[in-house]
Amino acid sequence: MIYLDNAATEKPNENCIKAAKKYLYDDYYNPSALYKSGYGLHLELKNARSEILSHIADDNEFSLIFTSGGTEADNQALFCGGKRGNVVTTNGEHSAVFLAVNELKQRGIEVRFANLNADGSVDVEHLLSLIDDKTSLVSVIHVNNETGAVNDIFAIAEKIKAKNKYAMVHVDGVQAYGKLKYKLTKDIDLYSISAHKIGGVKGCGALIKKKNLQIKPYIYGGGQEQGFRSGTENVFAIKCFEFAARDRYADLINSFEKARQLNKILRGALREDLFKVISSENASPYILSVAAKGVRGETILHEADDRGIIIGTGSACSSNQKKRFSRVILACGIDNQTADGVLRLSLSPTNTAEEVLKAAQELNEIVGNRKNIMA
Amino acid sequence: MEKVIIIRYSELHLKGKNRGWFEKIFVVNMEKSLKGIKHEIHRLSGRYLVENFEEKDIDLILSRLKKVFGIHSYSVALKVSSDMDEMFNAAQKVCSDSGTFKVETHRADKSYPLNSMQISMEIGGRLLDNNSKLKVDVHNPQLIINIDLRENDKALVFGEMFKGAGGMPVGTSGKGLLLISGGIDSPVAGHMIAKRGMTVDAIHFHSYPYTNMQAKEKVLDLAKILSSYSCGMNLHIISVTHIQEAIHKKCNGDYMVTLLRRFMMRLAERIAETCGAQCLITGESLAQVASQTVEGMTSSNSVIKNLPVLRPLCGFDKDEIIERSRLIGTYETSIQPYEDCCTVFLPKHPVTRPKIKDVEAEEAKLEVEALINEALSTLEVLKI
Repeated sequence: MIYLDNAATEKPNENCIKAAKKYLYDDYYNPSALYKSGYGLHLELKNARSEILSHIADDNEFSLIFTSGGTEADNQALFCGGKRGNVVTTNGEHSAVFLAVNELKQRGIEVRFANLNADGSVDVEHLLSLIDDKTSLVSVIHVNNETGAVNDIFAIAEKIKAKNKYAMVHVDGVQAYGKLKYKLTKDIDLYSISAHKIGGVKGCGALIKKKNLQIKPYIYGGGQEQGFRSGTENVFAIKCFEFAARDRYADLINSFEKARQLNKILRGALREDLFKVISSENASPYILSVAAKGVRGETILHEADDRGIIIGTGSACSSNQKKRFSRVILACGIDNQTADGVLRLSLSPTNTAEEVLKAAQELNEIVGNRKNIMA
Repeated sequence: MEKVIIIRYSELHLKGKNRGWFEKIFVVNMEKSLKGIKHEIHRLSGRYLVENFEEKDIDLILSRLKKVFGIHSYSVALKVSSDMDEMFNAAQKVCSDSGTFKVETHRADKSYPLNSMQISMEIGGRLLDNNSKLKVDVHNPQLIINIDLRENDKALVFGEMFKGAGGMPVGTSGKGLLLISGGIDSPVAGHMIAKRGMTVDAIHFHSYPYTNMQAKEKVLDLAKILSSYSCGMNLHIISVTHIQEAIHKKCNGDYMVTLLRRFMMRLAERIAETCGAQCLITGESLAQVASQTVEGMTSSNSVIKNLPVLRPLCGFDKDEIIERSRLIGTYETSIQPYEDCCTVFLPKHPVTRPKIKDVEAEEAKLEVEALINEALSTLEVLKI
């Protein structure tokens, strides 16, 4: 089996799970408990918090709230940050942001969407033109989860603050954390990350928050996570996250280089007459979005699946035009027919050149055959 | 004072010498529906009694019995001795706090010292004495309190009668094969025919990889709901991918639906032969979509060799079908957005009034028998 849907989730890092196993079986205590064993876990969480944060931010400037994943982190940022006036975001956001801002709209907040460039990155000029002195929150995705386009969020955040220094800036960094090299700047207020995209387990993520930033809690209860997110912490998952992040950052540059090589091989091996590449050259190398011309993405997905190759898709088999095509792909200005054939091939550092070559060959064959049948 | 459920059956009393056979199947179906719940079913003259169950299970039992075809109505009754005081106590429990009522008595035990009228008067009188807010209205009462005096010194006292599922016991009207798509209509059609006592098997066609596994799962979910009425069923699943591809490749695309339907009918008839079904059932409703015209039906019927095709929804409007699907509980599942037949192959301008001659000319471009056999080789049967 060749797994090329790593942007959906990555295979959990076995070593991390082994190392974290003791938090399931031995150190099972409640980290809020006052006895020594509980307090010990509280310290473990503190370390994890600081370590996960330290890879991308200065822990004097930022703090970290553990959540149930990227979606919850995004929701917390939007519902606790977008309180008044208007909220500005892009047409390239993950559903966790897109549907959350739609809910904000229902609650009476004006929401403005910035256009995308052809590669899925945000049209920065347009984004800035939407911001005014009533803007309470701006949310921009770091790495587009469908096309891999990288937004220069640091420059964007600086420009946002220049226009309205009170606007809170949130960035969905789920596809960037553990994959790209960067440090959060002072202009970024909130930043979402997720564990299972880098080899951690599902159900764990975090919202990174600028220290002293006043936001309301999202989940109320026992006051865990400095009161911002109550609920007994998933110590096992958090420790897995810490270990996976440690592994990933220890080898960040090499992994990036490897993904770049694999991406290049894939791009080269997919037949030009069958596939149109949507991702730009400077997109995250971990994500390659291509469109099979004239063949529906889901059909290819199933056939590839039957041949032992797991990939993602940008379209679903539905006659409902709105649901059928990815709204992000359409927002890139891609026509319906091309959007219908969109595939997302996403890599992890554990993939090999042989795997991606084999996958490309199979995909060429599948799409070639399918085109003959459909012709 | 024990709670029991009185079951009255629908048309079985119209049956003659084979009534025993009908009733036997009726009881088997009730037993099947109550499987796993402690209870006993006993026959009284002209009705059945479900008793010896735990009182906490009563809602569950009623919800299951509501789906058993052949039940005309049912009541929850109190079973007491035929002692007047006990019957009165039970009547008091059944009676509402205020409003109009009347008492009706049926006396199977003719040796009882009072006759029906006298018993009704006695109980009614006591109820009135006890509660000044009650009033008797023998013509148009809000509640009828029934007293059913049995031979064994027992009496059943009950108020409201609830409507059952009606129809005939499943298994008394032969067997049919339902073409189930995953939409709103076909489960309703299957339900209607099962209601008339027919055992229903279902056949579903998919076109993987053009459609996904969720579409199949949705049909499975629908079949499960339907089988709660039809006392179980077999679901036959066949891939028509290659048939669609062949039509797409070789024939006029406008005939896709017409031709595919003919293949589906042929396949269904083959499966019907092997599973013992005596007819095919479809959810077609006249003029609902392009293919559901009388010409379309003629075209698909003409490939069937022996079996009749039942189309119980032909006379229904879409909203009537939707209403029924809500009642039987399939609507929510039917409207999930997974499709059984991919839109990739759907023509923009399908033929609405196909002429047999033209259809046959298009079909002549295909190797029908080979395609049928290839499709049959993909058969998967699931017991639901």
